[in-house]
Amino acid sequence: MSRLESGAADHSRPDEFDAPAEVAAVARTQRRIALGYGLLFVLAIFAAPVLSLTLPWWSGARLAGGMSPGFVAAAGGLYVFFLAFAIAVASLARSVEVRMLGTSQEEDPLP
Amino acid sequence: MSGLDAASLAALGVVATLVSVLAWQRTRATTVDYFLAGRRVGMITNAGAICGDYLSAASFLGVAAAVYASGVDGVWYATGFAAGFVPVLLFVAAPLRRLGSVSLPDFLAVRFGSDRVRLAAVVAVELVILSYLVPQAVGSGLTWELLVGEGIAGLSPYATGIAVATVAVSVIVIIGGMRGTTWNQALQFGFLLAVVIWLSALLWAGGFSYPQAVEQASAAPLQAVEGEELVEVVDRIDGGSATFGEPGARYGPMGQLALLVTLVLGTAGLPHVMNRYFTTASGTAARTTTVWVLGLTGSFYALAVMLGTATRVLVVEHADEPWLAELTVDGVLRVPEHALLVLGRLLADTPGMAVVAAAAFAAMVSTIGGLLLAASASFGHDVVARILRPHGSPRQPVRAGQVAVVVMSVLAAAVALAVQPSQLLATFPSLIATMVTWAFALAGSALTPVVLLGIWWPDATARGAAAGIWAGCAVAVGALLTGLMTGADPSDGLGAVLLAPALVAAPISALTIVVVSRLDPAPGVSVAVWTRLHGTARDRRTERLARVTLRARR
Amino acid sequence: MMRGTGPLLAAVTGLWAVIVLVSRVLTQPPMSPVTTIVAGVLITDLLIVGYGSTLRGPRQSRRARRPRPRRPRLRRPPHAEDGGPDAQPRPEGLTDEVVDQAVALLLPLLDGDAVSITDHHRMLAFAGPGHEHHARGSPLHARTRDSVLHTGRTGVVWGRGEDLLGCPLPDCPLRSAAIAALSVGDEIIGSVTVYRTTDDPPRAELVEAAAGILSLHLEVAELESRQRLATDAELDALRAQINPHFLFNTLNTIASRIRTEPEDARQLLVRLADFFRYAIRQRGQFVDFSQEYAFVRTYVTLEQARFGDRLHVEYDIDPAVLSVDVPVLMIQPLVENAIKHGASGNVGRTTVRLRVRVAPLARLLEVTVRDDGVGMDEATLAAVAAGERLEDARGVGLTNIRQRLTLLFGAQHEFDVRSTEGEGTTVHLRLPMG
Repeated sequence: MSRLESGAADHSRPDEFDAPAEVAAVARTQRRIALGYGLLFVLAIFAAPVLSLTLPWWSGARLAGGMSPGFVAAAGGLYVFFLAFAIAVASLARSVEVRMLGTSQEEDPLP
Repeated sequence: MSGLDAASLAALGVVATLVSVLAWQRTRATTVDYFLAGRRVGMITNAGAICGDYLSAASFLGVAAAVYASGVDGVWYATGFAAGFVPVLLFVAAPLRRLGSVSLPDFLAVRFGSDRVRLAAVVAVELVILSYLVPQAVGSGLTWELLVGEGIAGLSPYATGIAVATVAVSVIVIIGGMRGTTWNQALQFGFLLAVVIWLSALLWAGGFSYPQAVEQASAAPLQAVEGEELVEVVDRIDGGSATFGEPGARYGPMGQLALLVTLVLGTAGLPHVMNRYFTTASGTAARTTTVWVLGLTGSFYALAVMLGTATRVLVVEHADEPWLAELTVDGVLRVPEHALLVLGRLLADTPGMAVVAAAAFAAMVSTIGGLLLAASASFGHDVVARILRPHGSPRQPVRAGQVAVVVMSVLAAAVALAVQPSQLLATFPSLIATMVTWAFALAGSALTPVVLLGIWWPDATARGAAAGIWAGCAVAVGALLTGLMTGADPSDGLGAVLLAPALVAAPISALTIVVVSRLDPAPGVSVAVWTRLHGTARDRRTERLARVTLRARR
Repeated sequence: MMRGTGPLLAAVTGLWAVIVLVSRVLTQPPMSPVTTIVAGVLITDLLIVGYGSTLRGPRQSRRARRPRPRRPRLRRPPHAEDGGPDAQPRPEGLTDEVVDQAVALLLPLLDGDAVSITDHHRMLAFAGPGHEHHARGSPLHARTRDSVLHTGRTGVVWGRGEDLLGCPLPDCPLRSAAIAALSVGDEIIGSVTVYRTTDDPPRAELVEAAAGILSLHLEVAELESRQRLATDAELDALRAQINPHFLFNTLNTIASRIRTEPEDARQLLVRLADFFRYAIRQRGQFVDFSQEYAFVRTYVTLEQARFGDRLHVEYDIDPAVLSVDVPVLMIQPLVENAIKHGASGNVGRTTVRLRVRVAPLARLLEVTVRDDGVGMDEATLAAVAAGERLEDARGVGLTNIRQRLTLLFGAQHEFDVRSTEGEGTTVHLRLPMG
């Protein structure tokens, strides 16, 4: 990726610009985050069917009425997980972006 | 069909037309405006529209059918559909928007700086759209068949349903462009969600207990209709007979895996859904929209799954009613796709069925609309405007797009007519959902790998990308055709992989991209493109301008 | 107990309670003990791996966390009421010579037609059209300037009317202006004004930037005149940061671009002002890493403008670091050292790599700055490693850092420098996390 860090920033649009090295850094960091959380997501979503194959309890036990843990996970639990997961990932990605790009100058100079 | 049914269908049609006409009056026919609604679409509206695009007949009728027919295995369809948006959020949403393109092929062309990639992507996109259109048409045919029961102008009811849906939507898309469809879609999703909530409310009011229903449904072995007889569904995991609450009714381990991978990977490559990301306001807005989508679709699917379960139980209880007796054999529906419609009637008599049918049509109409629009955008903008006639007038791509709309709908209708649902139902118990899976497989194999690698691997080159798209297409299409023609068993083993080939085709595509790019002496992404893709300068500028404007107004 | 252990303990205990409850109490038939143990161990492992990210604390947007810029308060001159125009003592550094030079220097840089420096009551220097009647000692007219002198906020004026620029002479060519405050420490002592003979005023940001730099100069002069002890850490740090060569070289770069790439040059000027604002206005020993990182980036942008393709910088930042507290002005000097000694002596291209990692469970922060420039010979390396101050200021930045680290962390930190002549230098820092 080193080729992408070279060069001064493109100043053709004055007020806000990103230096290539900064962008390369943030891309690297975001990729790390995305892959890490992606792995977590894969584990979570494939855990359920894998559990159904390996663990008799997962399909056998009854949490409520006729619903096994596997059923609860597939029919509702995983949706909740997706939403919570999404909120966490989105806010993390946003926070990284804000902290790694942009300058500290934000006060509007106009009185 | 009673007067009420006709009235509700007519009302839907009127609303849709009105919105399109209103949108048309404000549409200027330049490419960007026609395709992207001027980028001023609100976030929640956009999220609603994405859901409207995404929740097609497969989600509405198909999920309930899958749950009805296969119990927990059917539930996984819904979960897989919803899960597809998580990779979108993680890897695709923000960078996709930041590059500022108009469509997926356009995005890939800008990223790789190559029209060769654009062309390959357009082919893949049109294939995906076609394969997604066919099940929608099939769904329309089946719904019309059940609801109206009669054809028009000598056509069979099935054929009439197909014709009505495709013609009506083509007209709406041609007149209204993107703005019309965005509002249509958001509204139609709202309508779908409302119907699902309404049915759930009726259930609860009638004393429905979800856990108990699952227990009841699982009490006896699961049964399906073959010909005129009841047959016990085989448990593909443990052997013996399958039950509702336990996995195995539809998929063995391999089948489950293949299905899940296909659904999760497919969403990021669906052109009509991804196109909506280009109308969000910024990279951050794209992420937030995806979070909303996950919340909305999650709620929808959770309820839809519950409705499918309820149907399983309620049909048995009411099997002796005359209208139901026609549709069932010994308390089991012949055609699982009728499940939700039947539930509607059980809970609210004929108006109930009419509302569900209207919602089903709404789902199909909105998805068909999104698909046709994406098809026209790809052809108009990417092929005509960029490759064939880059110096033509702005109206030319729009005209070309309109031609594409007509061509695609005719093709889709033709294939849907050729399909004989009754024959296929034996192998594929939830037909529509299965056919949509094929579309997901194509998208996930041909487009998702190149999009992912394009965004996160700067050394991916244009040659690598094009090679990857072709490889993914070829493997996926090849596997599907092989599977269909040899009559492979989709539930497990090799058959499952052939019929949900993303498990194999996507890695092959990714590998192709990597190998070809490595061997390619051409450089990877340019600094300017990479900076736009991952930098937030433009968004910050927009934000700052917005703040200054606000302050100046005070 | 170390900070952060509490939540971890609570989480582990809570999870085990849940696992036992779900697997043995709530479900029928209860799971086997083996399964409970396996599940518990697995989830605990996941928790340990993921714990680092939970340590980061609440994520607030940059705007919420920014320290509010302090508005300099008005210094009421002691004899303002009863004294004449000469009652106010002139601040050190604002000699006639200096202000004349300053306005002459600023005139081309700020793209105006005229520039002036004033104190609270009078013009101190003026360059450009209108200088005949706005010479040193003449009264001030612009009403806006009053509010600038009072609040410190930059003001922009269009028009010549009484309430605006207010010059009583009808043929004065000046028509619009931007006025920024000059301050020393907390006190506003005057203003810098850039005028135009058209109705389109100069950009406020630029004037503010120039005023900032001038203020800096005044601040240093005043500190020196107060004769603080040379060992005063604040002065030391100040000196280490205000590397006069850096300032000179950067201004040079800016000046050389003013004609060919004016927008470029202006952006650099703004970034330079950012740089000094951060360097000077720090209070306290620690700062959020993202702010220090922004400072490093600002600095690198300025140097990149000067070196162009000869300098190539890479950042490798662990996301977990972004909300950790780090000692202020500690990372940028390392990068500055690498660029100064690694790159400027190097004819070809120099790559500087900044790597920041955190080890959450060991609660350590690791900072590595590596360059492939000219490196140091053995004697110099030994001297730097021993912590000696060298005459040619080679190791001054590093020595300064070592002293501060010892002051802040005692023996709990690690600092080592490795270098091979001709191949490059690596500076490695290990600190306990704040």
